[in-house]
Amino acid sequence: MKNDTPLLEVKNLDVRFAVRGGDLTALRGISFSLDKGERLGLVGESGAGKSVAAFSILNLIARPGYIAGGQILLEGKDLAAMSERELRKIRGNRIAMIFQDPMMTLNPVLTIGTQMVEAIKAHRRISTKAARDIALDKLRKVQIPSPEKRLDQYPHELSGGMRQRVIIAIALLLDPEIIVADEPTTALDVTIQAEIMALLLDLCEQENVALMLITHDLGVVSQVTQRMLVMYSGRIIEQGPTREIINDAQHPYTQGLINALPQMGEPGARLFQIPGSMPSLKNVPTGCPFHPRCDFATDQCRQTMPEYVRSGNVDVACYEVSNLIEQEKRMQEAGS
Amino acid sequence: MTSPLVEIRGLEKRFDLSGSLLEQITFKGGRFQRKQEAVHAINGVDLQVHKGEALCVVGESGCGKSTVARTVMGLLSPSAGEVHYDGQRIDNLKGRDVLPYRRKMQMIFQNPYASLNPRMTIQQTLEEPIHFHRPELSRDEVRGKVQEVMASVGIDPDWGSRFGHEFSGGQRQRIAIARALAVDPEFIVADEPISALDVSIQAQVLNLLMEAQETRNLTYLFITHDLAVVEHFGTRVAVMYLGRVCELAETKTLFAEPRHPYTQALLSAIPKLEDDRPNYIRLQGEVPTPVNLPSGCVFHGRCPYANDRCRQQIPQLITTDSGTQVACHAVEEGRL
Repeated sequence: MKNDTPLLEVKNLDVRFAVRGGDLTALRGISFSLDKGERLGLVGESGAGKSVAAFSILNLIARPGYIAGGQILLEGKDLAAMSERELRKIRGNRIAMIFQDPMMTLNPVLTIGTQMVEAIKAHRRISTKAARDIALDKLRKVQIPSPEKRLDQYPHELSGGMRQRVIIAIALLLDPEIIVADEPTTALDVTIQAEIMALLLDLCEQENVALMLITHDLGVVSQVTQRMLVMYSGRIIEQGPTREIINDAQHPYTQGLINALPQMGEPGARLFQIPGSMPSLKNVPTGCPFHPRCDFATDQCRQTMPEYVRSGNVDVACYEVSNLIEQEKRMQEAGS
Repeated sequence: MTSPLVEIRGLEKRFDLSGSLLEQITFKGGRFQRKQEAVHAINGVDLQVHKGEALCVVGESGCGKSTVARTVMGLLSPSAGEVHYDGQRIDNLKGRDVLPYRRKMQMIFQNPYASLNPRMTIQQTLEEPIHFHRPELSRDEVRGKVQEVMASVGIDPDWGSRFGHEFSGGQRQRIAIARALAVDPEFIVADEPISALDVSIQAQVLNLLMEAQETRNLTYLFITHDLAVVEHFGTRVAVMYLGRVCELAETKTLFAEPRHPYTQALLSAIPKLEDDRPNYIRLQGEVPTPVNLPSGCVFHGRCPYANDRCRQQIPQLITTDSGTQVACHAVEEGRL
């Protein structure tokens, strides 16, 4: 067993959308990896490119979007260069996806059972009876009450939380190695959200499935994931172990995101706020895309995009951080 | 204690589901039957909002919190009960008599994409309420008022000629707040004003609401499902479940020692940054439908402490030593 090649490795991925008046770059130079059984969080605000990143892993970017460069390696094989036929063998089978709105994902005119059997039979040559048994087994796994009954029910007969459980069961049908979950609990109430997240976490641990969790909720990321990526305007600006980033964020944007949470402030006092809003893809600022909102921005930030520097176990793209690290080094050298 | 600014007494609201008489009649077993069904959105709510405070109403979807907001504003008429403003009953007023209260009470809605008229410029949007409520003002005075209110919410007054779609979500919500403030109200009902916004923008809008409260001496009825926001923003909190208030307390007290089992579960479900795993009180089942309300305490089906009395008798709000009002037999009997 090779431990050094990760299960999934994304290298320098560029995704663009061809629109009137030129290309919009939705993802720029995205690189990250996901090990077997690892849980990775993808954080950012709307428009940061988190969902595009998730979709591109399955090469699901639809026109006018296209992958303009880079590789998506699943155990060394590049998904970006594969044909539709080959991709279909991977989607749903080795990499499964869970979307935000369960009502949009389930077909309203087919029973839960039909949809589950259909998904299994698309990948495996087995009898309907055997497929139904697998479906039933997975429904039990997601702790749905009276699963036999659910197989013959339609999506509208289930509550929101129950539907999301069905979606998770469908994702598990073919024993995938990776589950990509795009805001799986955003449409649900707090108490249901807690249940679904706990369930997803338990299942990933039991079955040793890798999870890529896309969310805007830092609390959820902190509860569920081991490593996290922070995205801003199509770039990863910080990535590393979740605990380390939450406790001691390096990038000014990540710091701002965390400090803007109401739970970080004194009740009644003003919250920390990041001025302005995320730039639209049509006019991404030059240099570091965060510079117009950043307190530490210098001329260097306005002109060139910073490279990643390592601070502890965290990779950060910020001149302020790299300058601080340089300074510390010099101080130590001067001291010795 | 001074008399409350807004008082809700014994409020009930039912939405009829059964349609016209002909739709209600069914022929069953050789007899005609008439069947009437209704959604019991609010079932006896008493609330007082004191001058200068922010009373937060929290609960999960379907608990009736938005219906309370809309009934207070007169957008819905109550099925039973009364709404008083500054000592005057207002829910039964008609025509011209309502107008002065419409000026004093304003509302901010959840979705700033839907609450701004897409065919009106921002200038027109903000001028309309002033023209309507203060016809004595001259054109220049109205224009001055609009400029002042735009500046106070951080929107450049030169942008008045733009349309709603030209603004980002956060800016639109600022404009919606400006529209509410334009007529110098005393009381603002905010129905989930930040749920549709990104984290960093949420902080901006919350700060703006707090600032407006201080400078204009406003009173808020703040509807939300986000408990972290409540802890930061609210003076007092009312927790609702299936159309009833189950706990009402000072914000600090509620978060320090929640008494009602539902409040405890709700608080435990908030994902916190310091958590390493989902960590919450598990409730059985799901929220029952408000069409057929459970007998007794509406929460008994999911409550770990429920006994026979809970299943039969509806608990009333009682005041505990800490000043918290809670509707729970277990707390009253000292079982909890």
